[in-house]
Parts: sequence; structure tokens; C-alpha cells
Amino acid sequence: MTNLNCDGGILDAQPSSLPPSKLIIDTDPGIDDSMAILMAFQTPQLEILGLTTIFGNVTTEDATRNALLLCEIAGCPGVPVAEGSSEPLKGGTPRVADFVHGSDGLGNISLPPPKSKKCDKSASEFLVEKVSEYPGEVSVLALGPLTNLALAIKRDSSFASKVKNIVILGGAFFALGNVNPAAEANIYGDPEAADVVFTSGANIVVVGINITTQVKMTDADLLELAESKGKHAQLLSDMCKFYRDWHVKSDGVYGIFLHDPVSFVAVVCPDLFTYKKGVVRVETHGISVGHTLMDQGLKRWNGSNPWTGYSPVSVAWTVNVDQVLGYIKKLLMKP
Amino acid sequence: MAAEPRKIIIDTDPGIDDAMAIFLALRSPEVEIIGLHYHLWQCLHNTCHKKRLTFDFLDVVIESFCVVSFFVGQLEVAERTDIPVAEGSHFTITCRYDFTAKAMLLCDSGVMAHQYIELLFLLKKGTKLRIADFVHGADGLGNQNFSPPKGKAIEQSAAAFMVEQAKLYPGKVTVVALGPLTNLALAVELDPAFVKNIGQIVLLGGAFSVNGNVNPAAEANIFGDPEAADIVFTCGADVVAVGINVTHQVVMTDADQEKLAQSNGKFAQYLSKILEVYFAYHREAYSMRGVYLHDPAALLVAVNPSLFTYTEGVVRVQTSGITRGLTILYNKQKSYPLVSAYTLISGV
Repeated sequence: MTNLNCDGGILDAQPSSLPPSKLIIDTDPGIDDSMAILMAFQTPQLEILGLTTIFGNVTTEDATRNALLLCEIAGCPGVPVAEGSSEPLKGGTPRVADFVHGSDGLGNISLPPPKSKKCDKSASEFLVEKVSEYPGEVSVLALGPLTNLALAIKRDSSFASKVKNIVILGGAFFALGNVNPAAEANIYGDPEAADVVFTSGANIVVVGINITTQVKMTDADLLELAESKGKHAQLLSDMCKFYRDWHVKSDGVYGIFLHDPVSFVAVVCPDLFTYKKGVVRVETHGISVGHTLMDQGLKRWNGSNPWTGYSPVSVAWTVNVDQVLGYIKKLLMKP
Repeated sequence: MAAEPRKIIIDTDPGIDDAMAIFLALRSPEVEIIGLHYHLWQCLHNTCHKKRLTFDFLDVVIESFCVVSFFVGQLEVAERTDIPVAEGSHFTITCRYDFTAKAMLLCDSGVMAHQYIELLFLLKKGTKLRIADFVHGADGLGNQNFSPPKGKAIEQSAAAFMVEQAKLYPGKVTVVALGPLTNLALAVELDPAFVKNIGQIVLLGGAFSVNGNVNPAAEANIFGDPEAADIVFTCGADVVAVGINVTHQVVMTDADQEKLAQSNGKFAQYLSKILEVYFAYHREAYSMRGVYLHDPAALLVAVNPSLFTYTEGVVRVQTSGITRGLTILYNKQKSYPLVSAYTLISGV
């Protein structure tokens, strides 16, 4: 996306003559999801084709409600919201992180219900349909467990080759997870699906919490946001209270991690990150279930192993913390 | 006046860097070797499972047996000249002869027969150098009718030896484990007091926040027996794990090897010769001109712990799935809302 100025000068960027890039956000809003979604709607260089919903921070049903509401808040009530799977590939009731995002997923600030309705297609149908309609043009930003994408890949064998790229917030690469030491929440939410997606051969960029936890909004940043004239600054500040308090409790962090917004920045300003390519597999058994393991390619293996033969994906390796944080703050404070 | 040397038991499978570690221990006044366990069968068994038996591998194994033979000879010398014969000091080398029978089953290819015979020959040569406690009634082993002892193997098992020594010198014995952790796990299970009696367990194993060396997930020693490793890591003993994330930082370069070849070091000539295989392997596998000093580095933790820094935490080993053998360290920088395998162990 060369038409974006990612050096912090986005607000002054010239209107581009290029057509906007097509994006579908697969999401489980979620407080930081809400930030990323509202940021996406604030980015004229993007055309949001739709939101697809998944369990994770909330149930899929609540994710759909919140997604509809966020589209309305963004002033785009016509954007389709396609509801995704209510359970992981192997079935069972998903674990929902209501202790992080509040029981409604949006920080329990008593928001009204949305007026608009979800679209009549399932998330995976919607993904397949849009990607087939615009082959090579649609990016997907995946902010939750990867069930819908796995279902899309299973539904249409050409999905992986037709999707422009999939930017995934997920995994913890050579770092501790956030569900337990081995696993990060989005991957843990549906490890089987994640393994399907990582080994699908699609053009994948994955941003793990080893990257996203480097980018924090401190209490001072949050105060700055609250006092700004940002279009959604007040709403987001209110939502963030619950989220921030959990960070203090869980990580001793006086502020918040910007998991989803950082991943969004990887879509629009990929150059603010460096990447390493390697095959990524997900453990689906045992005490490390949900563990993401990348073969860095440092050794020529003797014979084959479970990583052999799959296409490498791009794993975010470093992040320009100052510029990414600057980008996020500017966009959130944009009137 | 120097402190009393640490009593160490080295638990290892024969390999080139294992031999280096043992030579290193022999030349370190800081430690006193009170036991030595070799696991020929296990080494062979694991490797057979891992990559099937190949010519290359046989070469390496044969080389390893040379190392063992040579080493056994050196030990005798060393016992008389280098190491003061401390009271109660003795050497045990536990060999598992049943490996021959199992290896027979595994290498059914006629092509390899002559190499296999060579292997047995070397093994026999090694056993000729009878060392105390090698195998009870070893007399017959040097002659022609070598055959695997059946069932009632009379030698004290490695686990029993460790249990016994730990009881004899409570809190004083360090086990340096340079191979899979089977024996240690057996010791833990054999005697509930072992965990309390053993001074420290220094182990070479795991890949902490880096790729493994058997496959992207697992390091070879842990992969060799993940269940045993999980038992050892969670047993409650004072365990120091040295993973390949650390040992990969300790590289002997071509230039170092030259220096070694030119030195008058007691083991230098022999080592620099056998190191060639190891250098060739590293060129092939890692495209590097040098070798990782895994075992010597780990042994140095017992000799001089101040050469390393440490972090403390719970380690668990994945025993199933594609990441079987993965080591995960939880050093508690973060708390988790739900009970997990790690918090259960750590009692968080």
C-alpha cells in the first residue's frame, strides 16, 4: 500500500488516485478489536468489504452484535457483517475472555443494541464469495481464532491462492503465550483451524504477541486520547477502562497492549515491521496445545519432520515501536 | 585453599562432544568424577528410531565406540596420575549389552553386516579394558563368545547407582546429564528421597525459545525421552538446564581446532582427529565452519557456574503431538487467569 504515508504523516497524505484496497476483518470485538475496526473505517485508502465474526473475546453471537454496532458507530451501517462459526473446528463450547473485555466484550459501558441486521451468509461463505469475486485483491485481517478462515479454505480449494493476503494476529513466537506459557489466545481458541490456515499455502503474515506486547498505550497515552478530539476517542477511552484494569492485574502494565491495532498497522504499513519467513505449525495435542512453532530454517534437517513440505509464511520479527504507536495514536485522535 | 571438589556423576551417551566433556571434567580440579554412565544401547536405539540406521550413522557410532575405548584407557591412566585417588572414588561404566539384540532387529540389511560386526568388535575391544564395576563377572566378555547377558544383568543400574551415591553423600552429588534423561527419571521413581538427597542435576537439554535440533520443536536429548525429561523437570530437585539456545553460543572454530591439533594437551591429538566427523556434520547441517560445544559447555556449569546466567521457572515437556519433546519455560513474568499444567506444578 504505497499510497499511504506510514511515517506518521498520514493525516496530510494526498488523496490517492489508486483505488482503495479491499479488506475483510474477521473479528471477535473485543475492545482492541474495536480500536482496530474504527481505525480501519477512518482509513480512506481502505474499502471495508465486510466484517466476519468469531468467538474469542466474546461469543460469536455477541461478536456479531458488537460488529454491527461498530459499523453503525463508524457511520457505515451498510457494511455487511457475516456471522461465523459459534464453535471451533473440533466442536465444543469456546472459551470466552470476558475477564479481559467485559461480559459484553466492549468494556461494559452499556451501549445500545445495533439497529442493523447481520447478512444472511455465513462468514466462510462471505469470505469465499468476496475473494472469488475479486481474486488477488482482497486482504483479510484476522483478529480472532481462525475457524472462519479454515472453513473458507476447506469450502473452496482455490481460496488460499485467490486471497491477496491474510494478516493474522496470533501466536507467540519463541515467547510466552497469554493463555498459558505455551499458547496465545487466538490460536488456542481453535488450534486445528490455525494449523489449517498456516499450512494452506496462502500469502500469510502473522503478528504474534511477541510483537504486539511491545506496543503499549500507557496511562498517559490513554489520557491524551481521552482529552483529544478524536472522532471515537471518548467511546474508546470509556471502553478501555475495563481493558486497562485487567492489564494491571494480569501483567502489571499500567496501560494496554495494542494487539489488534498493531496488526491493523501491519496491513496498511507493512514496512514498519521486519519479517522472517518459515513454516509455522500449531500443536493440537497435549499441554502445549495452541503452541505456534516456526521453523526458522537455521538447520538442514536430516529427513522429514512435521514442518517439511509446507509453504513458509511471514512472521513479524521486529517492530518499529515508536512509529507504529505514533500511527495508532494519530489515527485514533483524528477528528 | 580451593574448595572441596564437587562430586559429579556424568550420565551420557557416547558422542564426540560427550567425550570432550568427560576429558574436560578429568582436567578440572573443581570436580571429582565419582561415576560415569554410558548408554550405548540407548544412543543407538534412539538414533535408529530417529533416522533409521544409515552408513553415516554407523560411522558416527563406531567413532563413538572408539572414543569410549580410548576414554576407558585414559581413565585408567588418569586415575593414577591426574586425579588423586580420593577415598571412595571409583568409576562405574554401565553398559547395556541388550542393545546388540535390538540393533540386530533394526538393521536387518545385509549390506550393513560387516559394519555391524566391526561395531561389535570395537565394543568388545572396549570391554577388554575392565574397569571396576563395569559389569560384574565381565571376565568372559573379552573372549570370542561374546553374547548379550540375558535378563539377570548383574551390573548396578545407572539409576540405582545415582540413588546410592546421593544417599551416601546427601546434598553433595551433582549429576551431569548429557543424554536423554531416562536414568534420572528412573532414579526419581526408584527412591522418593533421591530428589532431596541429590545436590544438583545439571542437564544438557531443551531448546528454550529457539528451534530444536532434531526438528524445529525438539532438542535431541529431550526428544530421546520426553516423558523422562518431564519427570526430571518437575521432580522438585535443584535442576539446572542448559539448552541449545546457550550451547549454540559456544562454538569451536576451525582455527580453534588447529590450535588443538598443535597443542600438547593430553587428549588433544585424539580429540582433534575425531572432531573431523563432527566438523563435517556441522558444515552439512548448519553450513558453518565450526562445531557447537554442547556437552563441554553443559559440563562447565558444574565446574564453574559463574560462567553462565540463569533464569528460574517451571519447565514442562510436551510428550505428544508434532511438538513432542518441546521444552517450555515459564519464568513467571506473567500470571495467568486459568489454571494450567504449568501453574499446577509451580503451585502458583
